Amino acid sequence: MSTGVVEHGHHGPGGAPHVQPLPPAIGGRHTMGSVVDAIGDIATCVRPHPKEWYLSFGAGFTMLGIFGLAVTYLLVMGVGIWGINVPNAWGFAIINFVWWIGIGHAGTLISAILLLLHQRWRTSINRFAEAMTIFAVMCAGMFPLLHMGRPWLAYWLTPFPNNFGMWPQFRSPLAWDVFAVSTYFTVSVVFWYVGLIPDFAVLRESAPTKIQKWIYGILSMGWRGSAYHWRRYEKVYLILAGISTPLVFSVHSIVSFDFSVAIVPLWHATIFPPFFVIGAIFSGFAMVLVLAIPLRKWYHLEDFITEWHLDACAKVMLGTGMMVCYGYFSELWMGWYSHSKYEWGTNFQRMFGPYGWSYWCLIFCNFVAPQVLWVKKWRLNPVVLFVVSIIVLIGMWFERYVIVVTLTREYVPSTWGRYAPTIWDWATFIGTFGLFFTCFMLFVRYVPMISMTEMRELLPKRAGGRDGHGIAEGPP
Amino acid sequence: MAVTTDVATPAEPAGTEQWVGLEELADTPAFQEMLHREFPEDATAWADPVSRRQFIALAGASVALAGAGCWSPRPASPEKIYPYVRQPEQMTLGLPLFFATGFTVGGVCSGVLAKSREGRPIKLEGNPSHPSSAGAIDAITQASLLNLYDPDRSRLNLKTGIPTGFDNALAEIRTALLKLRGQPGKEIRLLTDTIGSPALGGLILEEFQKAFPTAKWVQYEPAHRDNAREGGRLVYGEHVNTSYDFTKALRVLSLDADFLTCMPGSVRYSRDFNQNRNTHLKEGDKVPTAAQLNRLYVVESMLTPTGAVADHRLPMRSADVEAFARAVARGLGVAAAGDTPAPAGAAEWIAPIVKDLQAFRGRSVVVAGDHQPPAVHALAHAMNAALGNIGTTVFNFSPAEVRPGNQTTEFKELVKDMNAGSVAVLIMIGVNPVFTSPADINFEAALDRVALKIHMGSHVDETATLCDYHLNEAHYLETWGDGRGHDGTASLCQPLIAPLFNGHSPLELIAGIIPDRPTEAPTNPREIVKAFWRKNWPANGGSTNNFDAQWQRALQEGVIPNSARPRFEKQPDPAGIPAYTAPAAGLEVNFRVDPTVYDGRYANNGWLQELPKPITKLTWDNAIIVSPNTANAKGLNVKTQSTGGGEHGRQVADVAELTVGDKKVRAAVWIQPGHADDSITFHFGYGRQKCGRVGQNTGFNSYAVRSSDAPWNKVGVQLTGTGDTYILASTQAHFRMEGRRPVRRGTRDEYEQNLAKHKEDPSVALFAKAPSVAAPEWQEIDETVPGSPNEWKGEKPKEHKHSHDKPGEEKKEDHGHHDDRLIPLSIVPATNKEGRRWAMAIDLTACHGCNACVTACMAENNIPVVGKKEVTRGREMHWIRVDRYYEGKDPNDAANLITHFQPVPCQQCEKAPCEVVCPVAATVHSFDGLNDMVYNRCVGTRYCSNNCPYKVRRFNFLTFADFKTDTYKLMRNPEVTVRERGVMEKCTYCVQRIRAAEIEAERQGRPIRDGEVVTSCQAACPAGAIVFGDLGDPKSRVNVWKQQPTNYGLLAELNTMPRTTYLAAVRNPNPDMPKSKGA
Repeated sequence: MSTGVVEHGHHGPGGAPHVQPLPPAIGGRHTMGSVVDAIGDIATCVRPHPKEWYLSFGAGFTMLGIFGLAVTYLLVMGVGIWGINVPNAWGFAIINFVWWIGIGHAGTLISAILLLLHQRWRTSINRFAEAMTIFAVMCAGMFPLLHMGRPWLAYWLTPFPNNFGMWPQFRSPLAWDVFAVSTYFTVSVVFWYVGLIPDFAVLRESAPTKIQKWIYGILSMGWRGSAYHWRRYEKVYLILAGISTPLVFSVHSIVSFDFSVAIVPLWHATIFPPFFVIGAIFSGFAMVLVLAIPLRKWYHLEDFITEWHLDACAKVMLGTGMMVCYGYFSELWMGWYSHSKYEWGTNFQRMFGPYGWSYWCLIFCNFVAPQVLWVKKWRLNPVVLFVVSIIVLIGMWFERYVIVVTLTREYVPSTWGRYAPTIWDWATFIGTFGLFFTCFMLFVRYVPMISMTEMRELLPKRAGGRDGHGIAEGPP
Repeated sequence: MAVTTDVATPAEPAGTEQWVGLEELADTPAFQEMLHREFPEDATAWADPVSRRQFIALAGASVALAGAGCWSPRPASPEKIYPYVRQPEQMTLGLPLFFATGFTVGGVCSGVLAKSREGRPIKLEGNPSHPSSAGAIDAITQASLLNLYDPDRSRLNLKTGIPTGFDNALAEIRTALLKLRGQPGKEIRLLTDTIGSPALGGLILEEFQKAFPTAKWVQYEPAHRDNAREGGRLVYGEHVNTSYDFTKALRVLSLDADFLTCMPGSVRYSRDFNQNRNTHLKEGDKVPTAAQLNRLYVVESMLTPTGAVADHRLPMRSADVEAFARAVARGLGVAAAGDTPAPAGAAEWIAPIVKDLQAFRGRSVVVAGDHQPPAVHALAHAMNAALGNIGTTVFNFSPAEVRPGNQTTEFKELVKDMNAGSVAVLIMIGVNPVFTSPADINFEAALDRVALKIHMGSHVDETATLCDYHLNEAHYLETWGDGRGHDGTASLCQPLIAPLFNGHSPLELIAGIIPDRPTEAPTNPREIVKAFWRKNWPANGGSTNNFDAQWQRALQEGVIPNSARPRFEKQPDPAGIPAYTAPAAGLEVNFRVDPTVYDGRYANNGWLQELPKPITKLTWDNAIIVSPNTANAKGLNVKTQSTGGGEHGRQVADVAELTVGDKKVRAAVWIQPGHADDSITFHFGYGRQKCGRVGQNTGFNSYAVRSSDAPWNKVGVQLTGTGDTYILASTQAHFRMEGRRPVRRGTRDEYEQNLAKHKEDPSVALFAKAPSVAAPEWQEIDETVPGSPNEWKGEKPKEHKHSHDKPGEEKKEDHGHHDDRLIPLSIVPATNKEGRRWAMAIDLTACHGCNACVTACMAENNIPVVGKKEVTRGREMHWIRVDRYYEGKDPNDAANLITHFQPVPCQQCEKAPCEVVCPVAATVHSFDGLNDMVYNRCVGTRYCSNNCPYKVRRFNFLTFADFKTDTYKLMRNPEVTVRERGVMEKCTYCVQRIRAAEIEAERQGRPIRDGEVVTSCQAACPAGAIVFGDLGDPKSRVNVWKQQPTNYGLLAELNTMPRTTYLAAVRNPNPDMPKSKGA
């Protein structure tokens, strides 16, 4: 592990030494060349891929097959193959949609917001976090489409000129969703790709085979690394970061409107937008850790994803986790304070009703388990961190589960019912994991999973870097 | 091909531009040059006339071939289709026609108006002219329409399973019958269900019996009325039919009689009964007094719809009802009742009931259930006589059926003869004795000893498969017939459609097998019926000189005037009441007619199978129904599983074994609050083995333990758990109101006092309206409102009023004035204030949960049947559901249980939460205030269903509508879209009826009259609990109802502004009773 060799890297933007020096963002004794060797050689397959890659990809691809099967059967039969029913007309599809889209928040948050906030530690995790975002949003996007009764008419949710003279009904949050999610996805992809251009150019130069050179050559869009290129690149990157930042907040706010605009007790709450955004960041960071910890080990990237990174992610998780728990408390409080039989009754059902177990599961996962992270030793322990992150991911899934099964017992007691997923619900959910991991593993294989350019900038000046004074900080 | 034209040809001199054809033009150098310049590829083709012609020839040939390809070797229809040369009289394509006809079950005919679209009957309505219908219709009658289109109906006449012609079969049977003439010991037997048809009865009695003097006609059906017949015979010396006039009856005692849903004439009774029950304020704002309102006492074992709306209901074993009846009768001065003490726990009920009944001499009714022993019927007759009711509220007739008799005895004799081998021919019409015969009678074995077995029925059922001949019976909408209502009023039944599957009427069968019939005797069912009535037209039913005109009028009206059976003037002789034999202690079982599939004959009817049973809300199954205490004692349980729809569909019931004598049956258990302890109710009709794809293997066969000597009640049975479980589909297992008051209720006294106080001081909230429960007022609700949880803790409701409205008084709690308007303050401008505003009001006092509205809605709106599996997943499609709640301190305390029914269609909110959340505007508001559902715009996000607080929206999760079965296509209402998979649907207030009325009114240049638009549920409702109309019309009935102080909106506190509102249930309990409801 690194031992703080980069002693001169501990400066704030103004060059004044910090009282407490920051830990190094890059370990080892890397040079401009060794960074490319360490990261680029994975993408160009100069370094053989570990057997874990094959296992992960195999598992992901198998699950993708399940997804294909589940979707085919769904399109043939209709959404009735799922466990949804009349009090509970939304089920796994919406739970999973919100869960995946939440995961998709960390990437852009890390890339854009931390970029604007000059957080140097973002650089080693932003690339794969962005990829994670894109794939998670893809997975998320599957669900609203598949959950429709007549998915072949999904385009009716978009404002396209037609001879019915009909536009979407803009009062519906579902119509907002279409814009929010598609905008977010587009901007995330563009942001990711723009960040990749200099790296593709590097790979174009270093790739061993002709076909790789050709492909990376196309992808690098004629990047020559000239000063003009850099200048424009950094401006574009900064502007995209600026555009992405509000999107991080808008997407999940709008997704939360799907619930909070409704009249359903405990859905109809003003706290939902911030509560959902924070929850999204919480689960997104958990997913970043779940991906980073094994990748770091399998590809020996400890020099790039250092303990400092793990620590920082863990702190973000701890912070957002506590905010999410404040949300749970707030729901409870408002239910009691409202004195409404429906609000309080639904709270009661949520805690002690037929789905009470899921509520307490949620409290354990999102409130109790993250308390471990107060201890620095555990924050730095990849195994502990991995386990906690998995628990948090489960907890955030349960959060959406708890919200959706609120439908089972709301206003009129005669309509109270139950909801349970069927095997096809599970197959679709597991299937999206297949989509995610297949895409992610292909990304790991063919695209530099850590930004080489930005890692080079982190290098000390004597090694040819910029001491970490990179993009968005102006000229060093 | 090479370019052959000479491009060097000099230009033609001017003036030669005239050309005779394209060919010539094509030869011009200018054209050629242009061609080569512009279209070098096409130059040769244009230049070569042959190839161009070839092209045209080929094109022509292609067109010809394409045309030939469209020819089909199989023509679409083997028959020629002609358009109407002359429009049939009265028929306008696109407009429905209504024909009066009659539906008979259990020998009792109720008049219906069948709606016909382009020759297809698509809906049934009650016939307002018919005494048994009074314009309303019950669930089974409505659903009988589906039987017409049942794809599993018999399509052929069979001889030992091989198709044969009807006439051939008749000829063969006739020959066989002739051979038997004069052969002693080779008897002919005719087995039918109860025959109420005078024409058929006449044919059998007058012609068939004369042709075969030794032949015997046996009537048997499981839901027989032997006990009522026998009871009448005990005190009158002959069979009587009893009918009641509930419009005059103010105090009613029901001895285990579910007269509102399950009795001949119950549709009429429920309409009449509710006339004296409504508390709608009349002129002068006076709440009807307790003496003006009727009061119902019910003593019963199983909770029935009648018991549920009773003012006092005493659950007790069915076997103990006789003791109770004797105690009341003794109190009323019927000496022959003996000195039997009232059953335990019922003693304190006797005196107040007796006092109350005596106070209403001549204006009361004692009614006994058909399954109660003859003694109870005899006692009821004696009590009615003692109360002076006979001739004022209770009328006796000679029975409506053609030949009353003791069906069980007859049936037993028949089987005895069959076993003795003396029956050579058995003709069975409309019966299925292999399935329905009592457990102690092995009908199948006896049938085996009959040489020639003939069965006529609509299905190849359990009996048909064992018979030599199966003759295909026509549905009642396919053939002519007649029948008698509960009071004997005769009606003519006319066909609406030619037999779909070539079925025939029993009239044709009987007429066809009588040998040596005179040639002029009619064989056509219409002529048989007409000939009968020509002979038997009632003396005062109009002049018989112009019989054809009378006949025509009777056909049109649906009833034959003055054909009711003459009233019986005789008073009962109490001496006929038999001595009391006390029933044994212990567990009893009661066999009852199933409220949906009847005796099993409607088992293949999907509408009825999926119709939640009024009390249990079970679909697709029957069960062994016991009280919570009995279930506890036997260690039996019913659990809600978290899978599927849970309490909204899926219940896991223990399977128990019921032992009656030496017979055993295993069936699922259902625990029913309000059921008497030590008592089991087991409906018959389920467990069919051969009935078609719908009813196959549904439920449990209770005939297996129902013996002929105890067809209704047997004490001393064993019930043991088996350890197995079974999944039951119950659409509403959650029965508590959770303090949310979806149903509001009060007693008449509470209503009156509350209203008086409210008038005096408007800050006193009206009991039905305020306070709402969304507001922070629930503690006050619990304290102040009758029926809230505190009351069951023994606290009396406090008066609810606002101190802040009264200056000078101490402030208790200041939460603002209750807004009792259904249209609360809103920043959104109200929708239209002018023009039509359609609205509905439902009176919960009247509703007794009979489900007639549900089937009426299914027929009107093409609602699909989804099957048991989907019901267990909570996906039934009914647009109107009848919610059932129980109120009570302890659900085990059967005597203090209050049951409520609440029909819930779409509430048509003015500020509909569903509308704002639909991303594609598939649910929108109409100008006249309807919440419209646009099926072809719906993409199925189901957000509207989530956002509907009433959960009245229904989603086609799978392809629920049957697009494949041809017969169902005929049945559908062409004015209502058949919804495909993935589409949301819901109640539309029968928008097609509204629009039809609008068109008619506009055509006539007048406004729509109040009552002109009648929704399907409203039309069907026997209780008259539903009113629909225009809020914009201040005099409309719906406005009058909505101005009642009892009017409230379900969840109106959510600002949904529901157009459907409810009138709180008002009961009229007797203050002298020991356990009075709501006291």
